Amino acid sequence: MTIIPEDHIELSLEQSLDRCIKCNICTAACPVSAVTDMFPGPKYVGPQAQRFRHERQPSPDEAVDYCSGCRVCNEVCPTGVRIAELNARARARLAAERGIPLRNRLISRSGLVGRLGAGPHAPLANALLGFKPLRTVIERTLGIAREAPLPSFSRYTFRSWFRRRRAARAINGKPKRQVVYFHGCSANYYEPWIGKTVVAVLEHNGFEVLLPRQRCCGLPLLSNGDFTAARRAHEDNVASLAPYALRNIPIVGASTSCTLTLKEEAPELLGMQSDTVRAVAHQTYDIFEFLRMLHERGELRTDFRPIERTLPYHPPCQLRAHRIGRPALDVLELVPGLRLIETHASCCGIAGTYGLKVEKYQISMDVGAPLFETIRRSGADVALCDSETCRWQISHGASVTARHPIEMLAEAYGLVT
Amino acid sequence: MRTTIVIGAGLSGLMGALALAEAGLHPLLLAKGQGATHWTAGTIDVWGADARSPYAALRAISETRPHHPYALIGVPAVEEAIARFRALTEMARYPYVGGLECNVLLPTAAGALRPAALLPVTMAAGDVRLGGKVLIAGFRELRDFYPPFIAANLAAQGIAARGTYLTVPSAFRRREYTTVIFARMFDDPAFRSDIGRQLRAQRGDATRIGLPAVLGLRDPLEAVAHLQNESGAQVFEIPTLPPSVPGMRLFALFQNAIEQAGGRLQIGSDVIRGEGQSHRLTSIWSEAAARQQEHRIERVLLATGGIAGGGIRTDHAGIVRETALDLPVRTPANRAGWFAPRFLDPQGHAIYTAGVVTDARLRPLGADGKVVYENVAVAGATLAGADTVRERSRSGVAIATGWAAGRMLAGLMS
Repeated sequence: MTIIPEDHIELSLEQSLDRCIKCNICTAACPVSAVTDMFPGPKYVGPQAQRFRHERQPSPDEAVDYCSGCRVCNEVCPTGVRIAELNARARARLAAERGIPLRNRLISRSGLVGRLGAGPHAPLANALLGFKPLRTVIERTLGIAREAPLPSFSRYTFRSWFRRRRAARAINGKPKRQVVYFHGCSANYYEPWIGKTVVAVLEHNGFEVLLPRQRCCGLPLLSNGDFTAARRAHEDNVASLAPYALRNIPIVGASTSCTLTLKEEAPELLGMQSDTVRAVAHQTYDIFEFLRMLHERGELRTDFRPIERTLPYHPPCQLRAHRIGRPALDVLELVPGLRLIETHASCCGIAGTYGLKVEKYQISMDVGAPLFETIRRSGADVALCDSETCRWQISHGASVTARHPIEMLAEAYGLVT
Repeated sequence: MRTTIVIGAGLSGLMGALALAEAGLHPLLLAKGQGATHWTAGTIDVWGADARSPYAALRAISETRPHHPYALIGVPAVEEAIARFRALTEMARYPYVGGLECNVLLPTAAGALRPAALLPVTMAAGDVRLGGKVLIAGFRELRDFYPPFIAANLAAQGIAARGTYLTVPSAFRRREYTTVIFARMFDDPAFRSDIGRQLRAQRGDATRIGLPAVLGLRDPLEAVAHLQNESGAQVFEIPTLPPSVPGMRLFALFQNAIEQAGGRLQIGSDVIRGEGQSHRLTSIWSEAAARQQEHRIERVLLATGGIAGGGIRTDHAGIVRETALDLPVRTPANRAGWFAPRFLDPQGHAIYTAGVVTDARLRPLGADGKVVYENVAVAGATLAGADTVRERSRSGVAIATGWAAGRMLAGLMS
C-alpha cells in the first residue's frame, strides 16, 4: 500500500505490526477461522502477511477476503495491534488490483438498493425476493446466497414519514435542545418503525430531532473494498453533518455500524483527517451511548413502566468496536423488572454483506451457530441486538423475533409508535 | 452507573473483580485485551525459586522481606485467597488440587520439570512422584509440542518416557491447527474415542499418558475421563505455548462467576489516564472510537501487570512509567542499574522488581511515602518488591494480592 506522507494512519498501522508478539490470542478468538479453512486466522493474514505487502508487488494472499471484518481480533489483542484495519486495507488493495465483482458492487450500495425497493411497490419487490426459484436464479447469476436473510422493503420511507409530521420545537416558549438523527439505510428503507421509535424516545426526553440530508454511511463499500465510492459517501455525509457538529449538536444513530463508520471506520480506513471529518466523528453517538450520557448527567427521564421479562441480548461486533462497553444494558438496567442476559457469542456471522455471498453463506451460519443455540436455549421468543443485519441473521438462524433495544426502552416509556 | 472499576483481566484483576462483585459493588472490569490468563500455563505458582515449600517460603518472606507483596498482605490473606480460588474452581467443575504444603513437579513442553503449588486436576497425573512409565503423545499438526523431544529430556532426568505422534482422524482434518482448534475437537466425543483407541494401541507398558493441554474447553474433566477409559492409562495435560487452553478455561469460569455476582467485563478498552484531587481518584478514561470514554469512579483496583503485561512501560531513555494512572514507580536510579552483568545472574535483574510501592492496604505510595490515592488499590505484577518470574510466584502473587485488594477496597479486610 502506498504510504503518502499525510496518511498518518498507514504509518500507525505499520508501526502497530511491531507490537505483535505472535501469541495467537486473536486466532483463538477469531470466529471465522474457527469454522473454515479458507481463513487461516487474523495473525497470519494481518500482521504476518503485512510484512509481505509492498506497493510495487501484487497482493500476496487472497485469504484476506475471507475476513468478515467483525473486529473481534482487535477487541482481544493484548498488545494493541490494529489487525482489522490492516485486513480492511489489504482487501481494498486486492479489490483495486483485481476489480470488484458486480455482486459486491450491488450489495454494497444499500442506499441504491433501498431506493429501488422501498415505496408503494415494496410488496411486489418483497414477493419477488421471497420467490425461491428467482432466488436460485439470482444465486446462480449473481452469487447472492438463496437462503441468505434479506430484509423486507418498507412501503414508505422513514424520511417521508418524518417530512409529513409536525413536532413541537419549543417547550413553554424555550427552544428545545437539538439533536441530529442519522438513520442509515435500514431505518429509512426497511425498518421505519426503528426511526420512529428513536424520534419518540428523543422527543420524550425533550429534544428537537433534526434530519439533515444524508446517504449511506459507506460501511458496506468499505467492507467490500470499494474505497473510492466509500470516500465519496463519507465526503457527502461530512459536508451535510459538519455544520451541526461544528455547532456542538450531537449526531445520534441507532444503527451501531453506521455510527461506528462516522466515528472511526471511514476516517481511519480512508485516511480522512480534516477538521470537519474529526468534528463529525467527535459529535457522533450511538443511541444508547447518548442516552447513558444523559443519565450520567441526570438528564434522562426515568418514568419507566415495569417490564417483567428476561431476554437474551447480543452486543454486536460493531457495537463492541466502539469500545464503550454495553450502553444498552446500562440504560435498560434502569427499567424495573427487565433482565437482559448477555450472550457472549463472538459474532452472529452475517458481518453486513459477508453472509449474503454464496461462497460465504455457510461460513456465516457456522459462525452464528453458537449464538443461535444460546438464544434458542434461553427459551425467549425475542432477542435484542443493536445492529439490523445481525437482527435479520438472528431471526433467520434462531427463529426468534429480533428487536432493537430502543424498542424495549420505548415500551418502558409507554411510547406507542 | 458502575463506579467500581478493575483495570486488567489477568488473574489479579479477575480475583479482585470477583471479590468486589461478591461484596455487591457491581464492578466493571476494563482491559486492553484478553488477559494474561491466555499466556499462562494455568497452574498456580506460589513459590518455586528454591526447595522450600510454599508455606515455609511465605512465612520466611513475611518476616524478612517486609516490602514483598506476600509480606504486605500477610500469610493468612494469601491462604484466604487460595481457598477462595479453589472453591471457585470446584464450583465450576474444574477443580484445582495441591496446596501450600509442598510443590508438585510437572513436565513442561520442553521436558523440563517445573514446580507448581496448585494445578488443575487434568494435570495431576503428570506429578513425577507417581513413577511408572510415561508415554508422551502429541500431533505433528500442533506446533511447538514435540513428544520425542519432551520424552528424551524427561528420560535424561531419570523418568522412563517415550514419545509418539497421533493421527488426526480424517473427518476432523483441517488446513490450520491451533491449541484452540484441538480443544474444540476434544470437546467432541467422536474425536476423543478415536484418539483413545490410538492411545490404547500405542501405550505399551506405560501407565501414564501426557498430552498437550488441549483436552477440551467445555468439560475437560469429562474429556480426560473418556480418554482414560478408552486408553486404559492415566491421562494428564502438559501446558503448551499460548494461547493456553487451561488459561482460557480459567478466564471463562471467572467471567461467569463475576457476572453471576453482578460484575461486568469490558475487553478491548485500554485505560490511558486518570484524574483526581486531594488524594482521591475521581475519573479515569479509556480509549474508544472517536472519543475517550470517561468513567467517574468511587474506587479502582489497578491490575494491569508488569513490564511483560503492559502495565509498566520502559523505554530506551530509561523512563519507567505505570501506563494507566501514571502512578509513581520505584525503579533503579538510572538505566545502567536495570540489569546485572550476567544474563543468568543468581541475584536477578533489578528492573524486574520495579513497580508501584504500596502500603499494607495496597494503596499506591509516592516517593515521599504518602498515599497517592486513598481509593485505589494495586495488585499483581504491577506491584514493586517481587521478581515474580525468578521466584516462580507470579500467579500466587496475582491471586493473593488481587483478592486482598478487592476485599480491602470493599472495606471487608483491613
